[in-house]
Amino acid sequence: MSQPSRLRPLKLEELLRRNVWDVDEERHIEILRQDGLPQKALQLLCPMGCYSMAGDKLLMSYEGCVECGTCRVLSTPQQIRWEFPKSGRGIQYRYT
Amino acid sequence: MNKFDVVVVGAGPAGSTAAYLLAKAGLKVLLLERGRGAGSKLLWGGKAYAQPLRDVWPELDKEAPIHRWVTKERISVLWGERAITLEYKLGRRVAFTSPLTELAAWMARKAEAAGALFLDEVVVEEIVVKDGRVVGVRSGGDFVAADVVIDAEGANRLLLEKLGLADRPNPYHMAVAAKEVISLDPRLIEERFGLERDEGLSWLVLGDVTLGIPGGGFVYTMRDTISIGIVLNVGYGAEAAEKGVLRDHISRLLENFRTHPYFRHYWKEADVIEYGGRMTVEGGLRFAPKRLYANGLLVVGDAAGMLVNAGYTIRGVDTAVTSARVAAEAVLEARDKGGFTEENLRGYEERLRKSYVYKELVDHSGVAEIFGDPFFFSKVPPFLVRAASKVFEADYAEPTLLEALKTSAQEEEINMLRLMLKVGRVVRRI
Repeated sequence: MSQPSRLRPLKLEELLRRNVWDVDEERHIEILRQDGLPQKALQLLCPMGCYSMAGDKLLMSYEGCVECGTCRVLSTPQQIRWEFPKSGRGIQYRYT
Repeated sequence: MNKFDVVVVGAGPAGSTAAYLLAKAGLKVLLLERGRGAGSKLLWGGKAYAQPLRDVWPELDKEAPIHRWVTKERISVLWGERAITLEYKLGRRVAFTSPLTELAAWMARKAEAAGALFLDEVVVEEIVVKDGRVVGVRSGGDFVAADVVIDAEGANRLLLEKLGLADRPNPYHMAVAAKEVISLDPRLIEERFGLERDEGLSWLVLGDVTLGIPGGGFVYTMRDTISIGIVLNVGYGAEAAEKGVLRDHISRLLENFRTHPYFRHYWKEADVIEYGGRMTVEGGLRFAPKRLYANGLLVVGDAAGMLVNAGYTIRGVDTAVTSARVAAEAVLEARDKGGFTEENLRGYEERLRKSYVYKELVDHSGVAEIFGDPFFFSKVPPFLVRAASKVFEADYAEPTLLEALKTSAQEEEINMLRLMLKVGRVVRRI
């Protein structure tokens, strides 16, 4: 668990360690087309930091997704395929 | 599979309310939830208004997982290390705090106890239409027939979009929230916020917690946890990110808030036990789908845009519950008229328009104007804080209030007349 220095800002990776997921083996969100995606907005606004750059391309790791839909409203159906994880998989919130 | 009178999609507050009331009225109801148990996909700030919930469950106060009754409302404007805070001490118990994971689970249990069949881990993929009317839902290979479907799918309206009743939302009508749950001994919560045993605090923060981007911060005290969060309008947040005004991840804004010298002493030794995010409706009526009813279909809760953001207070759960209560009444009325046709379900929208929810949504449309004007977030907070600093941080003679405001306006390059006009325009509608 966390160190005594609770007054220092925690990194996103440290925050994510607090959570419980049951990750689906099938990806439920997928980038279909890179053209025109707001790269910076997706990287900074996805609360779970699922979007990162690989070279000049945006990469989406669905494992930490909480299914909030922010990336969905920042894209078109042609750019991002967006579905819910299958049967109960994905984030398991406990105290929110 | 069997045929049901009603299939409700989504066991959030709206869905469970509709399922509860219709099962109680003797209808055969199926309540479907995509998560594992009701509530596992839900996240909110933390406060609900009790009376609209008591209208559905008179036993609310005795039975519901109420953590604390809100007795203190605070609003702060923060800029740098300076802050202006307004506190209101309530005279009676109006709203309570609770984790939505718990509250929604309780509502779903009530629906089940009333006779609704509750099935979780079911992702509904389609609302099925045949000959111009909704006839049921499809999940995987299974079709479930229903006389009427109540869509309570939430802010991500995949089903309504498939039906062509809604489009992908406008990012400027949505907000994204990042939230932390901080675990703290109840006695410390009470000592530090000045609360009695079952009393709670609700706190909204404006200013550079969001770097001046439309949105804000919140703090809600639960029994033994504190909920803190940062909310950003998605459209303006995206603009700020692309322009380089927002350079850090939203979780960093939240961590800066949690460790800010003005706030951190409340929870200095406490652990963050959960971190989450969600997207919420900010547009209210502007987010509402093209229609709230069709042949064999009603839309309730967030999916219907039933979320009121009055700036100083945000209501989503009581409005969701009320929209579902009104929908349940309309369903019973339609049944008595002989069928769930569009014509017979019209009562839903008519009743909704007469309810307090609609009045709230219309009355607070001024907030949409505030949220549509970044000026209120980027310019007004530093101006107010600067003026306060001139009054409270004068080594010798302090200026008069008017002088302090005038010179602060000049220094922040704000036209006072323009400011007053803007404030005057929105103040009647917030």
